[in-house]
Amino acid sequence: MSAVRTPREVLLNRVAVVAVFVALFIMLAPIYWIASTSFKPRNLATTVPPTILFEPTVAPYVKTFVKRSQLRGPVEEEVYEAAPWWEQLVLDGGEKVVRSPSGEVKPSGYGQRFMNSLIVAVVSTIFAVSMGTLTAYGFSRFKVAGKDDWLFFILSTRMLPPVVVAIPMFLMYRVVGLNDTHLGLIILYTAFNLSFSVWIMKGFIDEIPREYEEAALVDGYTRMQAFFKIVLPEAMTGIAATAVFCFITAWNEYAFALIMTNRNAQTAPPFIPSQIGSGLPDWTVIAASTVLFLIPVAIFTFLLRNHLLRGMSFGAIRK
Amino acid sequence: MAEIALRDVQKFFGPNQVIKDMNLVIEDGEFIVMLGQSGCGKTTTLRAIAGLETVTEGTITIDGEEVQDRRAADRDIAFVFQSFSLYPHMTVYENIAFPLRAVGMSTEERDREVREVAEVLRITPLLDRRPSALSGGDMQRVAIGRALVRRPKALLMDEPIGALDAKLREEMRAEIKRLHMARNSTSVYVTHDQIEAMSLADRIVIMHDGVLQQIGAPDEVYLRPANLFVAQFVGSPVMNVEPVQLSANGDGAHVHLAGDGTGFHFDEGLLSAVPRDAGRVSLGIRPEAVHLSHEESAGALGGVTTNIEPLGSHDIVDVRIGEARLRARTPAGFVAAEGAPVWVSLDTGEAHFFDNETGLALREAH
Repeated sequence: MSAVRTPREVLLNRVAVVAVFVALFIMLAPIYWIASTSFKPRNLATTVPPTILFEPTVAPYVKTFVKRSQLRGPVEEEVYEAAPWWEQLVLDGGEKVVRSPSGEVKPSGYGQRFMNSLIVAVVSTIFAVSMGTLTAYGFSRFKVAGKDDWLFFILSTRMLPPVVVAIPMFLMYRVVGLNDTHLGLIILYTAFNLSFSVWIMKGFIDEIPREYEEAALVDGYTRMQAFFKIVLPEAMTGIAATAVFCFITAWNEYAFALIMTNRNAQTAPPFIPSQIGSGLPDWTVIAASTVLFLIPVAIFTFLLRNHLLRGMSFGAIRK
Repeated sequence: MAEIALRDVQKFFGPNQVIKDMNLVIEDGEFIVMLGQSGCGKTTTLRAIAGLETVTEGTITIDGEEVQDRRAADRDIAFVFQSFSLYPHMTVYENIAFPLRAVGMSTEERDREVREVAEVLRITPLLDRRPSALSGGDMQRVAIGRALVRRPKALLMDEPIGALDAKLREEMRAEIKRLHMARNSTSVYVTHDQIEAMSLADRIVIMHDGVLQQIGAPDEVYLRPANLFVAQFVGSPVMNVEPVQLSANGDGAHVHLAGDGTGFHFDEGLLSAVPRDAGRVSLGIRPEAVHLSHEESAGALGGVTTNIEPLGSHDIVDVRIGEARLRARTPAGFVAAEGAPVWVSLDTGEAHFFDNETGLALREAH
């Protein structure tokens, strides 16, 4: 189908195309910047003007994962020769890999932080989305006394910046022993995301015609079964969208992670900048750990893209 | 198959009473059509039978068992929705098989049942499609298939073909009739379309404002409407209803329309239940029973045509007699122009009298 277009519309269309490219450039530039920095030798990371052409190195990625310390002097020839290729990269940068007395390489802690981030974000997303979906279903389908007030109350929890409650939360967590635990962060992030999840899911579930469930009810199913067999599959689009948003929020959260955790349950966001250790900041290591940190969200969104794009317009209800 | 009975059913939505004192017995194997305007309570009644709506008071029995407190799933009844409500994420096959999964039937048995019902409904080629790829008529066939596959005690249909276009409606109407004949399932069908009601029903239940107005076979509600509402709701064009005065005349009476001195002569036998007090009664007569003639004849009253609606096979002609207006059904082209003088006579045997206050038909009990 191609509708008639006036010259004016053709021109506007071209302007729109240009605007899209400009927007694309603006959005992709920081990603290019961080990705290119993560492959630069340390001395090129902060040059002015920026170095565009350089010989890429994976040294920053190696350094991201191993514990290092500053070399006092030049490396002995035979030590350098005996070292594996990745250790040589570290030695080239004037640092040495820290080993335990038994000779094992000590990890930097990034891997553990990354795992913490995954655990906390995944579990809190599952909690927020599942609880939000059930709550939204209840509000959407049943008579709830004071429904509008409850919904407003749920929404109102988003009306103040979360950091405002950071200190009381910290004190309470200290008393109950949730500081620096995975559970503590999971509870916090679930609480942040729940109101969002309830509201978004209510919108999606309201769109699902009640007749679907009623058909299942007369066909011999209980309401619970109807929910799982009919409502849930129909709400997948909404669940996917909500899950992506909740995951991103939990994944990126910085302030509470910084305050509530320091070691055991620390997530990647507060850890990455803390790598600015002795000497000048090593921007290439920060860039490398940031690039790795971006990957899970990208994968998650990519996996759910079909649900995100499909929309709600595929129903078989005639209105 | 089952008998369904509603006794003294009341239903309130907040302060609004949507079903008032509903008493209805649906016989085993009967096809009942509930007819009424939107908001008259017919759909709510149907949903109450299905268990999708609670009743405020009264009992509903299926095969003698009280079910008003049972869940829809435990009533063994199937429901076809106006919106079809096929599950979009399942294929046609899965949609039809869905009710069978609830009862835990073996895979082979389920497959056989699904294919059998698909065969009956002529949708076998569509089994692997998704509902969104079907036409409206096929969607409704699948919806009916999903309802029938379980062999429920009764089949409830809520305006099942209301969303289809006119041509398809006619086709589906015949098909629903055929299915009913073949399966002889107790069916309750809700519609606002009297043609559907007339053509499908064994008995029609007419509702208005939550009150059951009349139950009867299609010809019965047409020929012997219980009250003014039924008289004017059933039949197209609408029955003429005019307030009348009666005056004695030999072995009967003259029935005068407003502003008409002469009156139509009715034999006494037709008036035995009609009070003679002034201002008490209205005359109801269908346009088919109003005869027009170009020549004067005994007992005919003079009138003037005011409007002509040509409908192809026949015309509907409005005639003014005194201050009253009657619509007559005439052969096509019988009256050439508006403003023409005509002579009007009535088929008095087809006339109905209604009490102006209660709206009830005045008729000898028998």
